Parts: sequence; C-alpha cells; structure tokens
Amino acid sequence: MMLAYIWQYVYSSFLRFWLKWFLRHVTGKCELQRICAGYKQGALRTTQIEYSLKSSKNKVLQDAVKVKEDDVVGCVAQIMREKNINAQKDPTFKGNLQQCLLQISGYSTLFTTVEELRKEVFDSENEDHEKMLLKLWDLLMPSVKLDSRITKQWGDIGFQGDDPKTDFRGMGMLGLVNLVFFSENYTNAARQVLSHANHPKLGYSYAIVGINLTEMAYSLLRSGALRMHFYNSVAGKPEMHDFHQLYCYLAHEFDKFWVEEEPESIMQFNHYREKFHDKVKGYLQEPDVALILKVDTKN
Amino acid sequence: MGLLTILKKLKHKEREMRLLMLGLDNAGKTTILKKFNGEDVSTISPTLGFNIKTLEHRGFKLNIWDVGGQKSLRSYWRNYFESTDGLVWVVDSADRLRLEDCRKELGALLLEERLAGATLIVFANKQDLPGALSKDAIREALALDEIKTHHWCIVGCSAVTGENLLMGVDWLLDDIAARIFTAD
Repeated sequence: MMLAYIWQYVYSSFLRFWLKWFLRHVTGKCELQRICAGYKQGALRTTQIEYSLKSSKNKVLQDAVKVKEDDVVGCVAQIMREKNINAQKDPTFKGNLQQCLLQISGYSTLFTTVEELRKEVFDSENEDHEKMLLKLWDLLMPSVKLDSRITKQWGDIGFQGDDPKTDFRGMGMLGLVNLVFFSENYTNAARQVLSHANHPKLGYSYAIVGINLTEMAYSLLRSGALRMHFYNSVAGKPEMHDFHQLYCYLAHEFDKFWVEEEPESIMQFNHYREKFHDKVKGYLQEPDVALILKVDTKN
Repeated sequence: MGLLTILKKLKHKEREMRLLMLGLDNAGKTTILKKFNGEDVSTISPTLGFNIKTLEHRGFKLNIWDVGGQKSLRSYWRNYFESTDGLVWVVDSADRLRLEDCRKELGALLLEERLAGATLIVFANKQDLPGALSKDAIREALALDEIKTHHWCIVGCSAVTGENLLMGVDWLLDDIAARIFTAD
C-alpha cells in the first residue's frame, strides 16, 4: 500500500515527465498525439486525454478540460500552437482532439442541464406538467381512463397516494420526464415492467421505484461515474436524451434483476437497490462499458 | 434475575436505544433522519421499504428505523415494533386533508402491545410551509391529550431548516433514559 503510494508519487512528479520527454524525442509526437493515434475513439482515448491535460504543467492544456462547447475549436488550435503540432504531419489529430474535448465538456454541460430539470418542481398549476403526468397514465394504461385528477388509481402505476405530485420531491421534473421517456420510446417494455411491478407477490411500486432509479442515474452522473459510458456510447457531446436512455436501461435492468432475485417483499427494496447499484458501478469501471437498453423502440 | 433485567443491564452498558420513525407518506421522515445526521436533504425520493441509521448522540447509540409510509407498506410496520424504546410520529402539518387518516393510524399504533412501553414524540413537521397548521392545531386534530398510555410530547419543526429537531430528539432521549437506564 505504502509502496504503491510512493511509486505513484515518484511516477507522477518525476518519471512521467522524463518518460514523456524521451518518447517525444523518439517518436516525434507529444503525448496527446500518441494517445489519439494509439487508441480508437471511445472511453480509453478520451479518459487518457483528460488525464494528460489535467496533469499538464501548461496552463492552456490544464484549462482545456473546462472548455465550453463553443470554444472547443479555438482551444484545440491553441493547444496545437503550444505543442508545435504540425497539422500536415498528423492530419487526424485535430478532429480527434476536438471530439475528445466535446465529450469532456459535454459531460459537465449535461450535468448542468440535468440539474436544472431536477430543480424544476412539479407544479399542478403548470399546464405542461399536468399534461405530462396525464400522458404517463395514457401511455401505461391505454385502456383505462382516470376517474379524476385526484384518485386512488394512481396507485395502479405505483405512485404512493391519490396525487402523484408529492412523489416527485427531490427529483422534480427529472423524475417525471424519465418515466414518460421510457413509456413513450419503449412502450411495450415499459408496460411489461409495469406488469411485473404489479405482481401480487414480487411486485413493487412502479413509479416511485422509477423515481428512485432517476436518483441513482442522477447521482452516478454527478459523481462522474458515467464518464466512460458516455465516452463510449456518444461520439460527441452527450445530450439530455442520452441521460434518459441511461434511465431506460436502469429501469429495464432493475426490473430483470428484481424478478431474478425474488426478494421476500418490497421492504427489502433498499438492500436490492444497493446490490443493483454496486453491479452497475462495477460495469461502469470497464473501459468498454456502454449501458444500452437492447430492445426495439416502440416494439 | 429475570431475562428482562438482564436485557436492561446489557442495554445499560451500551446505552443503546431503538427509535422507530413512522407517519403517512410524504410526512418527511427520511428528511428528518438525514437532516439530523447532517446529510444533504435536497435529493430525497420516496422511501420503499425502510432506512436504518445508527448514530451517536450525547453518548447514546441510536438505532433509528425510518419505515416508508405509503398505504401499501403500513401493514409491514408491525415487523419493526419489537424492542422499540421511542416512537417518532411525523406529521405533514400542511396536509390538512389527511389529518384524520393520520389520527387513525397513530391511534392504532398506540394500541399495539409491543409498543406499550415506548415514549412517543410527535413532530409537527413542515412548519416552514405557509399553509402549515400550528403544533397546537395538530395536537388537537390528533387528539393527543387523550393519550394516557404513553409518555408523549409534540414539537413543531421543519426538517428542511432543521428547526427544533434537536430539541425534540433530546426530549425523547431524556424520557427514555429516565425510564430504562435508571430503573434499576
């Protein structure tokens, strides 16, 4: 443990520098170029670029990990000037580095966008919010009409009480938009998950489990754990719908996990939630991770 | 020496208490628990099943059980009654429509034999909301003055701001400690 620590220190403060210097003179390429040439597009390349930039002693390179989307092109040009990179000798470098920077900056932009939606409180006075809630019902229960806006029927799709509004709580509109996205884009899969959730013995509350899984997706995003997933699954900047897609994966896979595990009752939810959470975190550490829901859309 | 005395002595040594937190859904149980423990309360989602937290406070080891309040979970509440020292009943003071429901659920709990020895604290939560009823209005709505079987107390609080949480928990600990740790 101690040795590993000392090695890490020695490596990052001395050896890394000399190793880079040596390789630079032997190959005629800087570290960024070597990474772009040595790895194909995806998490390995982008995370190494990110690490290389962060540990650089050059201010331009250090700041590049915090670049805004619109400034990526200019930032890459500046890096190339700083590092004396000849675009003719290495024609693919510019495009590759731009792509890496778009992915890196896109991740933090995505968090900002997701955070905004999470902070938007569900408001019964807001027509769009109400419409979306009713849409969720229609998508999941096409043959049943709601008796009224406040009704026990909400329990049939797994809300806690007569009025779902209080269930959104800490996840706000992010929770509702995720639920609607899954039901709209994977309608059959969502209805199948709902039917499992309504199983008399193995059942769970569909909607509030969904909101809990939104919380899981949100905290994974916030901690940075989704980086490699997005670097592998989205070629450029990850967008909001990519986050919704990840939610769909979690909702579908959690259901499968729950059915397989056969918990004694819903009271064991948190235990299995943690178990599932650990499993997902395990996947997210694989360099080739891409958590994609594999069912046909609208099937 | 009876089994109960031995158990009491064991407990005495560790100064351990078991608190059970119940109430209707959306009352704020998890938020109270997290706020009391100094955690972030802005991203809480509805509780499925239960949360358990063990924390130290004033030299006591508190095992706090926070069980989900939605209707379908209430039949499981009984599984958590055993050896409860303190019952924490949480009320959404702004949810006027369900106060009657709230009174009935609490009334039923107080008849439970396994909760017979427990001290009761009622948190009239969400005092920070504009439409919240005062702690005295909640006291009346829940007919707390009719309770003769348990030591009880009501505290107006806000889990979001943390107002009065500590005061309520301290009263609860004092009452329990007076009962179980000084009985012998």
